Amino acid sequence: MRVDGRDVEPAGTILDAVLALGIPIPHLCKDDNLPPIGACRTCLVEADGRVVAACHTPAAGVDEVYTGSERAARIRRAVLRLTARMHGPEPDAEGGPRSSELWAAYDLNGVERPASPRRTRGSLDSSSPFFSFDEQACILCGCCVSACQQLQHIGAIGIAGTGTRAKVTPGTGVSFAASICTACGSCVAACPTHALRPAPERPGERLGIPGEG
Amino acid sequence: MESKTWTTCPFCGVGCGIVIHTRGGRMAWADDDPVNPSSRGMLCVKGRFGTRFVQHPDRLTTPLVRRGGELEPASWDEALDYVAERLLTYRGRFGSFASAKATNEDAFVQQKFVRLVMGTNNIDHCTRLCHSPSVEAMLDQLGSGATSNSYADYEDASCLVLVGCDPGSNHPVIASRMRRAVDDYGTRLVVVNPKRIDLAERADVFLRPLPGTDVALFNGMARAILDDELEDRVFIDRRTEGFNAWRQAVMTSTVEEYAATCGVSAAELREAARLYASPPPRRGLAAGERPGSCLAWGMGITQHAHGTDNARALINLALLTGQLGRPGCGISPLRGQNNVQGCGDAGCIPDSLPGYQPFAGDVAAIFEEAWGAGIPREPGLKATDMVERIAAGDIRAMYVVGENPLLSEPNLAHAEGLFRQLDFLVVQDLFLHETAHLAHVVLPACSFAEKDGTFTNSERRVQRVRPAIPPVGSSRPDWAIVADLARRMAPRVGVDPRQFAYSSGAEVFAEMARLTPQLRGISWARLEDEGGIQWPCPEPGHPGTRYLYADRFPRGLGKFVPVQQSVPAAELPDADYPFVLNTGRVLYHWHGGTITRRVAALVDQMPEVPVVINPADATRQGIAEGDIVIVRSRRGRMSGKAVVTDAVREGSVFVPFVKLQESAANFLTNNVYDEPSRIPEYKVCAVCVEKKRPRPAELTAAPPTVSRDR
Repeated sequence: MRVDGRDVEPAGTILDAVLALGIPIPHLCKDDNLPPIGACRTCLVEADGRVVAACHTPAAGVDEVYTGSERAARIRRAVLRLTARMHGPEPDAEGGPRSSELWAAYDLNGVERPASPRRTRGSLDSSSPFFSFDEQACILCGCCVSACQQLQHIGAIGIAGTGTRAKVTPGTGVSFAASICTACGSCVAACPTHALRPAPERPGERLGIPGEG
Repeated sequence: MESKTWTTCPFCGVGCGIVIHTRGGRMAWADDDPVNPSSRGMLCVKGRFGTRFVQHPDRLTTPLVRRGGELEPASWDEALDYVAERLLTYRGRFGSFASAKATNEDAFVQQKFVRLVMGTNNIDHCTRLCHSPSVEAMLDQLGSGATSNSYADYEDASCLVLVGCDPGSNHPVIASRMRRAVDDYGTRLVVVNPKRIDLAERADVFLRPLPGTDVALFNGMARAILDDELEDRVFIDRRTEGFNAWRQAVMTSTVEEYAATCGVSAAELREAARLYASPPPRRGLAAGERPGSCLAWGMGITQHAHGTDNARALINLALLTGQLGRPGCGISPLRGQNNVQGCGDAGCIPDSLPGYQPFAGDVAAIFEEAWGAGIPREPGLKATDMVERIAAGDIRAMYVVGENPLLSEPNLAHAEGLFRQLDFLVVQDLFLHETAHLAHVVLPACSFAEKDGTFTNSERRVQRVRPAIPPVGSSRPDWAIVADLARRMAPRVGVDPRQFAYSSGAEVFAEMARLTPQLRGISWARLEDEGGIQWPCPEPGHPGTRYLYADRFPRGLGKFVPVQQSVPAAELPDADYPFVLNTGRVLYHWHGGTITRRVAALVDQMPEVPVVINPADATRQGIAEGDIVIVRSRRGRMSGKAVVTDAVREGSVFVPFVKLQESAANFLTNNVYDEPSRIPEYKVCAVCVEKKRPRPAELTAAPPTVSRDR
């Protein structure tokens, strides 16, 4: 198989081959720990003349892949523009380990970052002392749901509702603290935006341990 | 500047791969490691969000020496010279606790110091309080004291039997892998636990025996297997001995009689036995392959006055059914601490040398030749005995590394009284905890995030620990402190100080590997290239071992040992103390809590000790969810917050042994011990529970105290 004119072993998916060559294409809903979801459509490439999502297309049987062909780049940019309309501006907070991927994808593909907050889907759940969920930043990629269900087999969160009312939620109308969530944090680690992010460190905080310290 | 360090989680025995992100020299975030074969990209709440204790302001930053009654800062030279001088006078009346939280290298140097310089085998660690009965029974019956299978075998098994353990709270990533087996492969699940644990939701059979009736339960399962002729005759003939005598002992009662003793249904007992001996094949099992069963157990088996008998009864079951030595089956004593396997492997146990090698024969001679001096050949005192023998004057000085016995020993008021009688106590740790407050010298040690080394997890995988941040204050790695002390003392006792002139952890590991057959093929260089390696790994080209006992047991034949149900526990409920107290752990805290009390988010999640009580009992006692309740035993009292749920049986209460708000279950527990392992009976004692009455203001103004000898 050849990717952008370079030979590569056709093992795994097209995305595996592309990343093995060090070619940066966005892949927001593909986490290292999870099987492909194919929801975000940001990893589009042209493979033997068809535009496909690289993350869930097997490399076997594919001969020629172009990551930057005019058609693939145009459609990918359009997808990213639609993605950018799903969430608000970058919050002034530290995210999880993948939180910079979204912004890097915009910069790399020449898409403007959103400047104003969303008016709908704007809830913030900071009921857990370990992490918070800020709906403003959610792109509904489903990584968190997949991490909770397919990796940790807990099933605390899901996507409820459809269309503009779709939202990630721990049960219906329940906060993370009141749900069966065990705070393992796999969702936080898998989130490619700032939506699920660890609670900030509380520096110098003295804990209530009388008689010690 | 941001950097990443690939290392190993410091909490439980699962040994998850953890990637520490540091920013400006401080730990910012802990991420999972997708390629670690033990954790496969998973972590739990403690590994992911609980490592901030490392940078807590309470960290000890300088040695402390007691002068005029107060602990005062001192230089390393002052502190170590003083310790060296004092310890020299206590040879023969000395004991040492090693730390299952420290590295293999730390453990190896410490046991070498105790044996070579202090001239005693009085070295032990917390395995005494968790799996010593399992190790006793496995060494006797099989010849090896380790988990036989890998975590991968839980996913390959057709049946999982979980006895007296709560992986969802204590080994969360193993629990995830077990849930995966059930959800994705249709693996059958048998849960045996008086408490309804989270995994019981997925169980095919859930047995809730009366506390302390484990031997009857497993003998009942064995009887059911024999009745159904589901035993593995070929395995019994070729691989075991003692079957007939054991069989006679088991046949003395019927399944119905055994079930009645345990308070479970005979039909369910038979079903559990059938599933374990001969489960239906899981989805995706290759045709013609025998479906395997994994047997995993925890403290619910071991922490009894007959803990070793319980473990024996389980091993008999594995031998009877031949569920050993193939993929997808095996026996697993689930290890509590990150390096409790490695600490034992490295020789921090009183009755054997590194690698569980006996003193007898030429083994001790090999060590003496390598170390250039004599070592004692009589077994030393076990941890619980060291503490109890303080009263008799047999132990006058102790060196405690990375343990807080005044949270973890049973009957804390009694234990504290004993520790106060010591002439000289050295504590080496991260924090000034309860035990350190009594010490004459306190030495600051590095945490896992500041040092190089290796941990060995529950599946015998030796994994690297790497420094992510510089040492806090003037703290030093445990092995470096002990080696420095040993060099100061060695010339005075006829030992060559060069025996402790290590320049790096790698050098320590190389010496340990040379002297320990099961580790001989492992080196830091290999771990760097290949990642973790599972022992036994006898030579450098060996890939490591996924499961034990494929062809033979280390002792030759597996041995059936007849065991009979004795009195369920040393102390049972009566009119004054009508409830059975069951202790254990919770997901959000780590053991006694010395570490997790210093993680704000974990304390927020669980600020008070929960006292879990059945709704029927709660109604009778007038207790509602969230009430502050007082729990009393003959030895002490504690308060906690009532959690009312039918997850616990009527007549029993569950309290985790974490200490929060100065309240801890071990003020209540009973200091009676199992023979021969000398584990305390943490799992059963008699208590009474009542709602706390408001006290007059003038009494509550004083700081809280713990009442003694009540």
